[in-house]
Amino acid sequence: MAKAAVNGKRLIVTPDRCTSCRTCELACSFRHGAPNRPAVPRLRTFDFGGPPKNVILTCFQCDDAACVRVCPVTALVRSGETGAIVVLERRCIGCGSCAVACPFGQIEMDPVKLLARKCDLCGGDPACAAFCPTKALEYR
Amino acid sequence: MIAMDIDGRRVVTEEGRTLLDAAREAGIDIPTLCHHEALEPFGGCRLCVVEAAPADSRGPAELVISCLAPARDGLVVRTASERVKEARRTVLDLLLARCPTSDVIRRLAAEHGVPRTSFPESTDGSKCILCMLCERVCAKIGAHAIGGAGKSRGKRIAAPFDLAAEDCIGCLACARICPTGHIGYEETDDERKIWGRTFRMVKCEVTGRPLMTEEQRSFEAKRAGLPEDWFTKCPESKRRETAETIAKAFEEVR
Repeated sequence: MAKAAVNGKRLIVTPDRCTSCRTCELACSFRHGAPNRPAVPRLRTFDFGGPPKNVILTCFQCDDAACVRVCPVTALVRSGETGAIVVLERRCIGCGSCAVACPFGQIEMDPVKLLARKCDLCGGDPACAAFCPTKALEYR
Repeated sequence: MIAMDIDGRRVVTEEGRTLLDAAREAGIDIPTLCHHEALEPFGGCRLCVVEAAPADSRGPAELVISCLAPARDGLVVRTASERVKEARRTVLDLLLARCPTSDVIRRLAAEHGVPRTSFPESTDGSKCILCMLCERVCAKIGAHAIGGAGKSRGKRIAAPFDLAAEDCIGCLACARICPTGHIGYEETDDERKIWGRTFRMVKCEVTGRPLMTEEQRSFEAKRAGLPEDWFTKCPESKRRETAETIAKAFEEVR
């Protein structure tokens, strides 16, 4: 993450420690999903042959972000508290430009809400880091 | 800081907010049809009507349109009084006469106690309530492809001169924002048809999934100051590519 957040914390990813157990994906889904509709996670693990080769991918919360630049209605804004770029769902018009613009594929369109969906660092208490058993994801 | 009484609750908001903003921030639901937070308040549908009175007023409260009425200190607001409900029923009675075939309007009317309209029903089959969300979102995006045509009972949304919409980029923002599903379009993996135009889809170089129209790509690239070839892959392909790049980089340093 580029810009220092007010809360002074960052989501630190240490891919060497990732076992690709996908607990983070589950935690993310539960935190963001409605009951009876497990959401799709906003971060993903990639199993390239077990630790230390695995990779965890989540939003980099870029400084000069393509998603923010491309959004026609300023529905993507940076949270001063966490430094995360968050989707203002009531402002999003579901045009999908951000999803195509993000060079890392970290924004997807929610097929039910028809709105953009991305990592928001859970407002300062990321579930992925809280549940990662190997500390491949830490928030400190 | 502005403090108001909304439905008996003390609601604190900031200067420049509307009654609708303040109520929604406090978790009080007010129905709307023409409102969207990406756009300026419009006051077209009149469904968000509420009753408001200054705290010191001894006269009757006024019916105001909450998406337009600014929050003021000491206001006493009622969002679901009998008078408000009656006003909303009248609005829905009229909307139901205009769009008797719209499921959204029929459901909303039924929920508010209007099972059928008391006015002669329109027979043109249109679901358009003239909320102008489509025109407004199109203008906000900067395409300005569609707008109101005709007047009075003949008013409708159309492309200029009812020709194929020259400035349309095929982004579907109008169809998606339309509260009643009035704006139709056709879509395959290869092309999209809307407002008399046929657009070719840009497809993901890896998976072949349709991403956006070619016109939308040019338009968005220009807005963002990015090259057109920035928009070439679907999120899934880009994630896979990024993960492989990272894995390779780690492999090299190990």
